[in-house]
Amino acid sequence: MIKLFNVNKKYSPNIEVLKDFNLHVSPGEFVSIVGKSGTGKTTLLKILIGQEKADEGQVVIGDWDITNIKRRETPYLRRQIGFIFQDFKLLPKKNLAENVAFALQVSGQRPKKIKSIVPKVLDIVGLEDKKHRYPHEISGGEKQRTAIARALVHRPKILLADEPTGDVDSINADEVINLLLKINRFGTTVVLVSHNREIINKLRKRVVTIEDGRIISDQEKGKYIL
Amino acid sequence: MFILSFFRAVKFSLQDISRNFWLSIVTVIILVLALFSINMLLVVKVVGDTAIGAVKDKVDINLYLKGDAGENEIEALKNKINNLSGVKEVDYISKEDALKSFREENLNNPEVMQALRVLGTNPLTPNLVIKPSDPDNMDKLTTELNKIDSPIIESRNFVNHQKMLDKIKAITDKVSKAGLVISLIFILITLSVVYNAIRVAIYTHNQEVTIMRLVGASNSFIYLPFLLSSVIYTLVGIAILIGVFYPFLSLLQPYLEAFFVGYDINIINYFNNNFFFIFGWEFAGIALINIVASLIAIRKYAHI
Repeated sequence: MIKLFNVNKKYSPNIEVLKDFNLHVSPGEFVSIVGKSGTGKTTLLKILIGQEKADEGQVVIGDWDITNIKRRETPYLRRQIGFIFQDFKLLPKKNLAENVAFALQVSGQRPKKIKSIVPKVLDIVGLEDKKHRYPHEISGGEKQRTAIARALVHRPKILLADEPTGDVDSINADEVINLLLKINRFGTTVVLVSHNREIINKLRKRVVTIEDGRIISDQEKGKYIL
Repeated sequence: MFILSFFRAVKFSLQDISRNFWLSIVTVIILVLALFSINMLLVVKVVGDTAIGAVKDKVDINLYLKGDAGENEIEALKNKINNLSGVKEVDYISKEDALKSFREENLNNPEVMQALRVLGTNPLTPNLVIKPSDPDNMDKLTTELNKIDSPIIESRNFVNHQKMLDKIKAITDKVSKAGLVISLIFILITLSVVYNAIRVAIYTHNQEVTIMRLVGASNSFIYLPFLLSSVIYTLVGIAILIGVFYPFLSLLQPYLEAFFVGYDINIINYFNNNFFFIFGWEFAGIALINIVASLIAIRKYAHI
């Protein structure tokens, strides 16, 4: 599903973020990427959504070689990949249903289709009864679940989660992770970037550890080793 | 799907404008000022053309004849002049007609009328009034008229109207140039204001733009609301200009009529007759400038 071959990425001659980076993620897999700050985790995610380009190497998503993806092609790539962030990135002036619907509106979906999809994804994340609430009226965990719902509306084959539990308490963090596991069980490939040792250890899923732009460990049922 | 996306873009665009209400107001005011100065240029052009037309209409050459010139001689001379290439028409003014028109012209001048009474006789001579076919080419005609040698010619009055025409042209050209500079300044200000208005709109919508990009909105869908905003600014600017400029023309019209007595000058009719041409092209031109300014701002600040 995700293949990176000998990827190198530099932001300047002195700042090399990814070095000879190789990673293969199979369809339906749940992979955690761990590493200290500045080791290249976020750059990796940016390359996967076409926000950054690799200087060298090859990047393939599904059957699509996105190494030299053109700017006009990135919207189509991003409709196949769901993305959630530590800071949720919800629109404060829109209620939860509107926030989820927004992703469909901007990709030109018909109102009828939006009306049918939005309640379903909100139901999946357990927020159907709070769909008229605004982001400031809900907890951090609920905000992240809304962001997950928004990421799911395009039925993506891949879900990338960048520190999704960073801004939520431990109970809500568990809820978010359980939701990611549930989505993964439906067949979606999940790539989780996290600093949270407890969560990573509890997951007992594949763990890829990055240090200084290189993979230093790749374990099938791994632990947080740093 | 395109129509649906278009209406959504219009909605986002109207949100942009309302969220930055005061900036939008300033943008439109600057636009109206730019458009007003451009239309003032048009007014100057119409007034200048009318003034030049009025002078050209008055341009003629008088050939004064001897009082005892015979009808046959006068007719022969008239035909000879009529056959010259630069002549439009030749009118014969008899001694009596010349006096009659002189009296009419000086009816309100008691000193002149008194002098005529004292003289007791008609002091005027008959003359041929020659209208040139091209008032801009008077030199050639006067040279040809000077070559005509006839015993009945008393004197020739070749007033140089060209100087007057050149003067009017120079004045209107200067006013037009000054207007053009003012218009260009306003257009540059408009460009800068629209650029900044779109930049602020992008900052205001930064979160939306980021999310749009990440959830797969096409680049054109992200562009469109900002481009539409600049077109809406132009549309509102043109509408306000029309609302302001016509009352201004109504105020100007009586002064123009008083200045060009006897000449058909109607600036309101001019704008009415060319309404779609003038305001259509102004809309297209300013919208294009605004779209370019917006595109530059989007490319620079929206990071699409």
